[in-house]
Amino acid sequence: MSPSLTYKGVPVWRHTQVIQWTTQFVSGILVVVLVSWFAANMINAVQDREIPHGFSFLDREYQTPIGQHFLPYESSDTFLYAFIVAATNTLIVSIAGVVLATLLGTFIGIARLSGNWIISRIALIYVEFFRNVPLLVQLFFWFYIVLALPPVREGYVLADRLYLNNAGLSIPWLSVSGLGSSLGWIGLVVVAIVAGIVVHRWLVIREIRRGSAPDPLLMGIATVFVIGAVGWLVIALSSGTAPFTVSLPSPHGAFGRISDGFTMSGGLMALMLGLVIYTASFIAEIVRAGIQSVSRGQIEAARALGLSNARTLRQVTLPQAMRVIVPPLISQFLNLTKNSSLAGAIGFSDLTNVAKTMTQTAPAVSIFLMIMAAYLAMSLTYSLIGNLYNKRISIERR
Amino acid sequence: MAAEVRPVGNPPLPPPILERGVIGWMHANLFSTWFSGALTAVSCLVIGAAAIFGINWILFNADWSVIATLGGQLVIGQYNTELACPGQNCFWRPQVSVLLVTLILGMMWGLAGGGLPKRMGIAVAVILSAFALLPYSFERMGMDVRLLLGANIPALGIGWAIARYTPLGTSRNVALSAVVVFVAILLLVRGGPAIPGLEPVSVRHWGGLMLNLILAVGGIAFSFPIGIALALGRRSSLPVVKLLCVVFIEVFRGVPLITLLFMSQVLVPLAFPENFPQNSLFRAAIVITLFSSAYMAENIRGGLQALHPGQAEAARALGLPSWQTMLFISLPQAIRNVIPAIVGQFIALFKDTSLVYIIGMLDVVEISRAFIQGNPEYLASTKELFLFLGLVFWVFTYSMSYVSRRVEENLGVGRR
Repeated sequence: MSPSLTYKGVPVWRHTQVIQWTTQFVSGILVVVLVSWFAANMINAVQDREIPHGFSFLDREYQTPIGQHFLPYESSDTFLYAFIVAATNTLIVSIAGVVLATLLGTFIGIARLSGNWIISRIALIYVEFFRNVPLLVQLFFWFYIVLALPPVREGYVLADRLYLNNAGLSIPWLSVSGLGSSLGWIGLVVVAIVAGIVVHRWLVIREIRRGSAPDPLLMGIATVFVIGAVGWLVIALSSGTAPFTVSLPSPHGAFGRISDGFTMSGGLMALMLGLVIYTASFIAEIVRAGIQSVSRGQIEAARALGLSNARTLRQVTLPQAMRVIVPPLISQFLNLTKNSSLAGAIGFSDLTNVAKTMTQTAPAVSIFLMIMAAYLAMSLTYSLIGNLYNKRISIERR
Repeated sequence: MAAEVRPVGNPPLPPPILERGVIGWMHANLFSTWFSGALTAVSCLVIGAAAIFGINWILFNADWSVIATLGGQLVIGQYNTELACPGQNCFWRPQVSVLLVTLILGMMWGLAGGGLPKRMGIAVAVILSAFALLPYSFERMGMDVRLLLGANIPALGIGWAIARYTPLGTSRNVALSAVVVFVAILLLVRGGPAIPGLEPVSVRHWGGLMLNLILAVGGIAFSFPIGIALALGRRSSLPVVKLLCVVFIEVFRGVPLITLLFMSQVLVPLAFPENFPQNSLFRAAIVITLFSSAYMAENIRGGLQALHPGQAEAARALGLPSWQTMLFISLPQAIRNVIPAIVGQFIALFKDTSLVYIIGMLDVVEISRAFIQGNPEYLASTKELFLFLGLVFWVFTYSMSYVSRRVEENLGVGRR
């Protein structure tokens, strides 16, 4: 007889599946109970205290001025339109900020890796300082610098083109004469770019087949410019129109107010300065880490194959570094977009600031749902673009 | 055995003068190519000009009196005003809190026996004591204040002695004391109606750097474990748990903190019954903590993803149950690998505490802004004030990243 080692099986409460399903069930129930308790309280509060709710306010007139805005706006416009104007402000600030911060950040990141000791030290100090000081402090600092600029009539003027004073910075800007006439021009740009891409592709294929060809990228860009210039001449000579006119800023009236051109208000200027300088310090570290992640052997192999310095950087180092750079870069773009919500502190009407003002005359719950939707939409768009790009450049496993 | 190889003929010549010593270093790092040389020359000129201008401005043109005028308000905000503390002096409470912190630093020094904790403790205690020597009149800064500030050096010593010569000197006890001290500081600063001598001070009057630090320490302490839980939840194989964690993380990461803070003041009170006890600071602290823990979760998830699966498999093969595998094998390695990201998040949290202006709290940034707004005669010295604030924040955040780099070195990240 074997000793009585009868296996009774695992008790029910220790079955993995039982544990897992109980955990899920309990946590699900807990969350549902909590959320419905909050919702019930909120509905009670709304009904008992007669707090306004719903979305009917959207058609009402907002009747509050918005500082600087990129879409045309009057105080008599509706809440919905004002919300869109504010969202556009945030969107434009974030896109311009992303482009400028990426340029500055890449520059500083490369400077960090410079063989020149002084340059790399300067870049290091830049990064360590601006990254470690709250953006709000930086924004206030820039805002007061802008406020301390001389008044409009005594402002700085550069060659009658740039005006810098405490009302902001005025720069020459393009003014498009009208959509009808611009369609032809947009067509021309599209044709030129498509032709450039075709030439680039063709040269790449030829290079792979024959082993030598003119630099595809250079020739592609040249094609775009040549077709663009020829097309411009042809259209301009045949119809006598131009794609745009340059609108120059100039002082007007008794107070020397600057009109025409494009004027960045002081708040917008401080916001852009702060956002770009702050975000660039993070982007610089990302770019540096990305470039350092490419193994030296790759660069040495490229040089051994006879690639020039520029081509090594463009076709060997950068494509590999991009894999490391892109995901954190996208999250910096998101941070910049979200950080632009500090604009309210320095008097620029971004989405959060306008929405905050709106809650004084409109139901807060609805406004908050709208802001959250707007920011989540922007975040998800950035993540989507980032993920698509990331998928395209990620390592192909063979 | 092979005989020692002796060099034949003349001893080798030293490397050329251009390749060694200071000149060699300069040749390699400053003038390696003509372009590099030009950069060096230009940047030296720029740095020189900036230095002359900067020193001139700092010493002669800048008006730093605004900082002296704000003085203690930068540190404690409106805490010791007649409004917050009617008919008594409450300044000793934050000061005793600081003494308690120094005590803990002393205990850490005693525990470690030297190195970084020693240097940090001494630096903090000496700097705090140095504030006792500020050239204020005794009207503005009394003897009691100076004595309490000066007591930081003995407090450090007492902490050191406690850790050295009493049973409190184990790492668990020191960590526990740190928690006790944090709670004690909250009680001390808040006070209570039942405690004689500690009249309650409404959280609306908390302010200055004290508020930033309390929010940051509390946020760091809670966002770390919550972040770990969320990261594990997001990697869980249970669909319901995973979904809940993903929604939580993405919503909190997708919306600006400032919007969440504002929401916490307008919407959250509605979500609780009318007579539910709440206060605005507590709500803000919770929002900051949850916001930060969503980011923390993503950092820790990154660390877990980067971990070789062999680690967990080996642990399972040795018979560890899955929770022990996670707790003792996977998590420690994952966290060690993402220390820079975690500390970066701590720093971001500390910087984000300046956003509480949106709910009307007077933290160190907002009290400065409000002061300038209320006293337009100081408008011209705003840049001095905010430069100073930037420097204050920088000292704290830079020390955090310095400590993290040292911790990383001690844990041998990148070496094993």
